[in-house]
Amino acid sequence: MPALDAQQARLEAAHTVAVGISVDSTFCHGAWAEQLGGISMPLLADFAPKGAVAEAFGLFLSEPGITDRATVIIDAAGTVRFVASVGPGGKRDIEALVAECEAIDADFDAELPGPTAAAPGLPADATMYVRDGCMFSRWALYARKNLGLDLPVRNISTDEAAKADLVAVGGKAQAPCLVVDGKALYESKDIIDLLTARTAKPLVP
Amino acid sequence: MIELSTTAPTFTLQDHLGRSFASADLEGKRHLMLLFYPLDFTPT
Repeated sequence: MPALDAQQARLEAAHTVAVGISVDSTFCHGAWAEQLGGISMPLLADFAPKGAVAEAFGLFLSEPGITDRATVIIDAAGTVRFVASVGPGGKRDIEALVAECEAIDADFDAELPGPTAAAPGLPADATMYVRDGCMFSRWALYARKNLGLDLPVRNISTDEAAKADLVAVGGKAQAPCLVVDGKALYESKDIIDLLTARTAKPLVP
Repeated sequence: MIELSTTAPTFTLQDHLGRSFASADLEGKRHLMLLFYPLDFTPT
């Protein structure tokens, strides 16, 4: 996945969105993406029911309960233009796949919209507050890393000044909390949604 | 394995940031490359 992430500029020029799909959950994907150092390519959770999308493409291996390592390219008219499997233990040729996308785009008749507009970004004084041993704080931190953000983090478990600053703005010594535009967001889902909307390119132009 | 030149099934799934991704939204806008893989924490 990181090898493909590095090809985003070529894929964008070829009017192509690349996504990873496995039967792992959203949270497992979040943890893996964080371990990879963040990833801009969406990792989709084919999780409930497990493998249903892979099954629809004939790529679910029901005996081990996993998905084949296969690549499908669908053009903007919804037609399957490329399918190949390297087997679960195989390795994809990323360069060849990107070239395939470029060839499909060059061959495509209709005019497609230009590059996706950049997201607005965060103000310089935005700050994330977290605490130790907190699952929701971890999720907020995953999102920060997955989005590649240079957003200051303060730990209220170890930093009394941070705790006091948080209470001064939000009224509660509760973390995670994202302080942005003078407001305090205390729900991890709200934090992740705001960070994503402000900093990630939209999935669809 | 799905056959070439057929119409792909459409789907909606959540990504690793909790965003909803609907393949039908790309129609007329972008081609879509789906990289199916067995499990997280394995090479691509």
